[in-house]
Amino acid sequence: MRSPIFTVLLIGCICFLTGFSPFSDQNTVEEIAPVTFLAVKQGEEKGSLTVATLVPPIMNEEKQFFSTKVRLLEQGRRQFNFKYYREIRFGQLRMLFIDEQIAKTGIVNLMDTLLTDPEVSPRLFLIVFKGDFEAYTKNQMQKQKDLDYYLYRMFKHYEKENQGEIAVTNIHEFMEKTHTPYSDPYMPVFNVDKNCFSYEGTGFFSNGKLKGQTDKEQDQFFLLLSKSKFLKNVIIEPLDLSLGEVHAIVKKQVNLKDHTVVLKIQYRGRIDEYRGSKDLNSQADFYELTDEIKDYLEEGTVSLLKTFQELGVDPLEIGRQTLTPVSKSMSAEDWLTFWKSAKIKVDCSIELEPLTI
Amino acid sequence: MFWNKRIQKIRHEKKNGNELFQKNEDLSLESLKAMISNMDDGESIEHSISRNRKITIVYIKTLIDLERLNESIIQPVKNCSEEMIHTCLSSEKIVAVTTLDNAQKLMMQGHVLIYDDKGHLWAVPLENPLARSVEESQSETILYGPKDSFTEQIDQNITLLRRRLPLTELKTEKFSAGYLTKTKVVMLYVEGIANPDIVDIARKKISKINFDMIIEQSNLAAFMEDHIHSVFPQFQQTDRPDQCAYSLGLGKIVILVANTPFALIAPITFFHLFQSPEDYIHRWIVASFLRSLRYVSYMVSILLIPLYVALTTHHYHIIPLQILFVLLESRSKLPFSPFWEGLLMLFVLEIIKEASLRMPNKTSTTLGTIAGIVIGQAAVEAGFVSKILIVLVGVAAVASFLVPNYLLSKTNTLIQFAYLILASFLGIPGIVLGLIHMLAHLNGLTSLKQPYFSPIAPLYWRDWMDFFFRAPIPWMKKRPKQADALFKWRYNRGDG
Repeated sequence: MRSPIFTVLLIGCICFLTGFSPFSDQNTVEEIAPVTFLAVKQGEEKGSLTVATLVPPIMNEEKQFFSTKVRLLEQGRRQFNFKYYREIRFGQLRMLFIDEQIAKTGIVNLMDTLLTDPEVSPRLFLIVFKGDFEAYTKNQMQKQKDLDYYLYRMFKHYEKENQGEIAVTNIHEFMEKTHTPYSDPYMPVFNVDKNCFSYEGTGFFSNGKLKGQTDKEQDQFFLLLSKSKFLKNVIIEPLDLSLGEVHAIVKKQVNLKDHTVVLKIQYRGRIDEYRGSKDLNSQADFYELTDEIKDYLEEGTVSLLKTFQELGVDPLEIGRQTLTPVSKSMSAEDWLTFWKSAKIKVDCSIELEPLTI
Repeated sequence: MFWNKRIQKIRHEKKNGNELFQKNEDLSLESLKAMISNMDDGESIEHSISRNRKITIVYIKTLIDLERLNESIIQPVKNCSEEMIHTCLSSEKIVAVTTLDNAQKLMMQGHVLIYDDKGHLWAVPLENPLARSVEESQSETILYGPKDSFTEQIDQNITLLRRRLPLTELKTEKFSAGYLTKTKVVMLYVEGIANPDIVDIARKKISKINFDMIIEQSNLAAFMEDHIHSVFPQFQQTDRPDQCAYSLGLGKIVILVANTPFALIAPITFFHLFQSPEDYIHRWIVASFLRSLRYVSYMVSILLIPLYVALTTHHYHIIPLQILFVLLESRSKLPFSPFWEGLLMLFVLEIIKEASLRMPNKTSTTLGTIAGIVIGQAAVEAGFVSKILIVLVGVAAVASFLVPNYLLSKTNTLIQFAYLILASFLGIPGIVLGLIHMLAHLNGLTSLKQPYFSPIAPLYWRDWMDFFFRAPIPWMKKRPKQADALFKWRYNRGDG
């Protein structure tokens, strides 16, 4: 008797331990429609949302664009299912496009909904868009069959290869930064119209709300100071100059007594293109240009940090410098108050690699 | 009731098999003639010889060399004037036979019986060898290396081994297995290297066989294996003398069976089944790469189709996006679920494999074309299976051919089916459970009481020199621990 009972118990344990359930999801690939992105926009009524997505085609059918007006994100999925013969699944959701208006009102509850869904991967790219994403998708899907896939590849490229062109972020990083003191999340901001989907800069969040964004010039400094600390090209228009392969070594210091934040940045790069009036073969001219670049970089960095102070965000996590091994740490609110009024001191140095081959 | 009317019941006698065929009669001319009664190829010839004496020669003409019968026996005996006839014969292996049972045994082994009128019986060996020449191995071909292989002649096979190991320590113990077939079985080992305990285990196992027929080496292995219900072979079967000689030198035992060109090698591990004689011919880096490729291919051959079923049924999340789109399109029109689709293709593949084995060479080319084009392409076009599955089945089938051991490669299909069912119900966790079970099972197996899953469990670091990777041969200073050889050093220590 003991052996059959043992066998049944063993099989039972195996089934339950492996997540076997009579109510398990039916995931046979041909019966589901794994969508790759959701675009969330402010609805006409207060608190309502417009959720849109593209459903991948099977066989020789067109890609279908679905858009529905709902109050809850999950309601959107249900509405899509009513319209389509395959079940919409979020297991392959790779991108979440958030309208600027919603981003300004707060997106933490949206993020929570997605994070609690066990199907959704934490590597979900987050993007803020300005404009009519629906018009862009409808127009572009006629020309580009795998539009959503190529958009995903673009974000994946900038994330994985650390190219330093776009500050890509995913839902996991976003929520981590949101809930960590001395840290604020950011997202790439894109401008969308019927024909164009173009990168505009980086948007900065505080308490889950979009506070503002950088312009393209400032964005270069942010990318150099943030995670990648590398830019393939730094365009300096006032000097008619392009620097290539720019790396930055950043040292941050917070002096609580002097109420000062000091950034010491060591840049290294090479001159890729120069269309200005100086003769780079002349040593005097070259030193002069180096000084001008250094001044430009210092001014740009100060301008970026001042923007952060105005927005009340700290995406560079400068606040971490206040932590000491023994003393009590500053509260996030205290740090923000300090940061907003702190004096900024930026000391840049630049090392230009020789031009000769 | 129906059977009772039509078939007369046979009363099975509870007798020992050996007793059943034992002759208890006295030795006489009549009893000798009775022995060959109702045998078309049994002959008894009477000859008058000098001194008005008569002799009777009894033999089975299909077992003896008829050309030599006249010159070696009849002519010398006819002119024999000696009292004892056997003194006139030139053969040195003449046996004086005293019992009928012994006479029968010798006659059936190809001896000619000579019975004189004084009641003496002699047996002269005149066996027809029916031997084929030593040819190249068909089942384990290698490009660079020895080309000879075993034949059905056991003595010839022993010669091939003795040429490679010219040692008096190479012992050959003879056994007879099967009371009907009386198959000659020879166990070979190198005394002083092979562990006597293992030799003793093998000796006892062979001696204990009390079955009617041992036709070939697999029959013998079935009686000697420690775990008969396992799908994994616990003896290595090879027709390559070089491989046998190498194993003997490492302290293993080789068992030769008469009338079969395959030898059994034991004790072995699961990993020996992935080794090929060519591994020791290639440069060690190349050999290591090829060997690891075999392990990978084995895993691919058993896991690829179950993984396809697991991914398409349960885990669409982890399929790369572009492949998922292709899969969606490919599977959209299919009438079967991934499990049935996989099962169908595995069945078809197995049918093709079996058919190509049983067909003559010329027909198997046609079969290949039919299988490849008609079944593969047409099945996709007809919408029975997806294009991706056809690719995966092809890859899995080709990968399974990389396993050098035929018996192991044949177990693949069964394991695949088991994993397929697990993958269909439980997805990847199911496959993992299957793998855990397989590892646990392999860990529990033994080959002649030696651990089958070493050098992983138990962990024999020494044997890792010749495991996933094949280390340079000069580095293999010691014999593998798994065979538990008495003398572990391979270098001659006396020479420094």
